[in-house]
Amino acid sequence: MSLPIFSSALANAGRRAALRPQVGVYACRKIHSSQSASSSPSTIPTYSTNPAEPITQIAKRGSNQLSLETPSNKAEYVLSTLDKIANWARQGSMWPMTFGLACCAVEMMHMAAARYDQDRLGVVFRASPRQSDIMIVAGTLTNKMAPALRKVYDQMPEPRWVISMGSCANGGGYYHYSYSVVRGCDRIVPVDIYVPGCPPTAEALLYGMLQLQRKMRRSRKGVLWYRK
Amino acid sequence: MVSLARTIRSIRRVGLREWWHQMQYIGDAKSGRFVGKDQFGNRYFENLNPEEEIPGRHRWIDFAQHDYNATQVPPEWHSWLQHIRKDPPTEDPVMQNLSPPWKTPWVENLTGTRGAYRPYNTTRPKYEAWEPKSVPRG
Repeated sequence: MSLPIFSSALANAGRRAALRPQVGVYACRKIHSSQSASSSPSTIPTYSTNPAEPITQIAKRGSNQLSLETPSNKAEYVLSTLDKIANWARQGSMWPMTFGLACCAVEMMHMAAARYDQDRLGVVFRASPRQSDIMIVAGTLTNKMAPALRKVYDQMPEPRWVISMGSCANGGGYYHYSYSVVRGCDRIVPVDIYVPGCPPTAEALLYGMLQLQRKMRRSRKGVLWYRK
Repeated sequence: MVSLARTIRSIRRVGLREWWHQMQYIGDAKSGRFVGKDQFGNRYFENLNPEEEIPGRHRWIDFAQHDYNATQVPPEWHSWLQHIRKDPPTEDPVMQNLSPPWKTPWVENLTGTRGAYRPYNTTRPKYEAWEPKSVPRG
């Protein structure tokens, strides 16, 4: 598993070097804006079939993230490689703290069961917040539960991530206009991944975990520290 | 069913280079019929022999990108890969004739890039948040 990471560092260096001069040109434009792309003088492609330059690469042009991922000197190269090693270690053993509040928790249990088998990704439910690094908020967060949620979040060690699972945790959902429900758990804790659905399938939650792995892989804390 | 005989058989069929690629990306030595390639360069395979591949693992994809994820599969091939349709889109007349004219090109999940979907609201909120006002005491 570690081998593709190192080889990707070498392979992507050349690809990103080719993209490098374009950084800054598209600095203030999104590829999915509500205006039509033809109104702008230089159009950005909205899809790509070239595996050497996929749409995710095009969409990253001119972003801070691409700049962080492109080492500009030897120290940054070393630091970004160290970052990749740390990311690899983190994404390989994600231990979620289960905050099952409602019916979404049943789907969360399905993710752990035989069919979707979260353990093959190294995801193990941990009942203690002090030894877990992800919190899955599954279900309706009520006003009464909110201080407990915040307390559990504060007990988790850094680095920590939060997955908000289901409509109720995302934005109140069905109970949005209720007097006793928090309108989205992002009012209480910072959320990394929102999984839509009522309830989301176990498959959707697992896909959310994979997206969180992607987010972990993007982290470049060392390079960020060096540049500051 | 991973066994030494199956691994050696697969290596003899696909070659050492392809086997190494498979071990890096799929994590298993697989061999089968090459069914087709989509517009992104992903390759699709099938092996219907239950002695060689466990039923359920008999259709698989080899992603073109290093940083792969499941949304890189276009919907036509997804329906073949997940057994929604029996035939691959290269051979399926229904899939070839019923492509709607309003269909846009397939774009994978852009979460985490600048192309990420951001929802927004255009209606007036139905409730107003409480703003505490304190009247200074006389």
